[in-house]
Amino acid sequence: MENIDKKLREEAKRLLEEKKVDVLIGYETGTLPLTATPCFITNPEDAEKLVWNAFCTQNLAKFVHDLISQHRESQKRVKPEDRKKKVVGVVARGCTTRSIVLHLQERQYARDEIVIIGVPCTGYVDRKRLSALVGGEDIREGAREGDQLVVKTAVGEKRIPLKDALAANCLTCRFNNPIMSDVMIGEQAPPMSPDQEYVEIEAFENLPTEERWAYFTKEMNKCIRCYACRQACPSCYCKTCFVEQSQPQWVGLGEDATDTQVFQLMRLFHMVGRCVDCGSCVSVCPMGVDLRKFLKKIDKDCFELFENRAGSSMEDAPPLSRAKEHDKEDFVFNP
Amino acid sequence: MARRKFATLKRFLDYIGLEGDRTIFTWISASEGERFANVIKGVTAKVRALGPATKLVKKL
Repeated sequence: MENIDKKLREEAKRLLEEKKVDVLIGYETGTLPLTATPCFITNPEDAEKLVWNAFCTQNLAKFVHDLISQHRESQKRVKPEDRKKKVVGVVARGCTTRSIVLHLQERQYARDEIVIIGVPCTGYVDRKRLSALVGGEDIREGAREGDQLVVKTAVGEKRIPLKDALAANCLTCRFNNPIMSDVMIGEQAPPMSPDQEYVEIEAFENLPTEERWAYFTKEMNKCIRCYACRQACPSCYCKTCFVEQSQPQWVGLGEDATDTQVFQLMRLFHMVGRCVDCGSCVSVCPMGVDLRKFLKKIDKDCFELFENRAGSSMEDAPPLSRAKEHDKEDFVFNP
Repeated sequence: MARRKFATLKRFLDYIGLEGDRTIFTWISASEGERFANVIKGVTAKVRALGPATKLVKKL
């Protein structure tokens, strides 16, 4: 891992010095032990801050979209001949590149506005899972030693196998290596276990209707409508989100349980053919809502019905933007 | 494309626990009066069998 950090910093520094990128989005060590936080680098000297490890959680494609759209907005007030292009560099693992592919397919920015530094990924640590493993104690110090995490809490020191703390979406990840990249750092990562991808979803599908509804309402009752999931999601980039629209008002504000359910339902359903299973929404959720249970179902349906995995290739157009003559229609009601 | 959206929506609503018979889709042309009547009869029969909706209903 040391080696990857070194190569990453060298590459980032070179890109910034040669002015190939105006800003580089990567991860730096977080303020709490065993965390990493997104950072924006414009000065080549600051490239030393960059890290790439198992604590890099957020999908950085979100920031690529934010930066480029903000820049474009600011250029609207500039005379056409004086407009500048802004190139954003990004440290991207598999799911981040999938989001970028999605943005490119949805014409959000052009390929020459981004530089992708690909990194291999072996999964990231799910903070909530790690916290549960140490019994909810505050983590005071921590380090990674090979395949183990050494965590120091007020109660004492504990060694945890890294695999136990990895996020659920990482364990069954199919695309842990970048789909595309301009520069690739390090070797290709070994595959995870994608064959286990839908095990949890199939089990849930087989439950009786009422149990599924009970689970849905139980999870949605946790939701406090902070919209952190929406803010973190690279696929959620609408200028005006339907929850904030007032004419017409699609969803009521306030604490009515049905409004919360409808908000989640609509946000989830906007992810058909667009959710890359990066787990950002799950990791930022302060209430621990099991969003993945529903997002993965959408992904499963999308694959079963349209043989598409969101953002898995540039050539494969988004499934809801095209149709085939023999798409399944057994659900159509013909009395 | 509409067919694709409906296919995924119906599956998804069923998955979260809404009875599958509550979401019904079909194609009817403006000229198919008799078919329209038949479809609506079919829909009301299905919904009547399920009883009043209690899920995703906002109590004002």
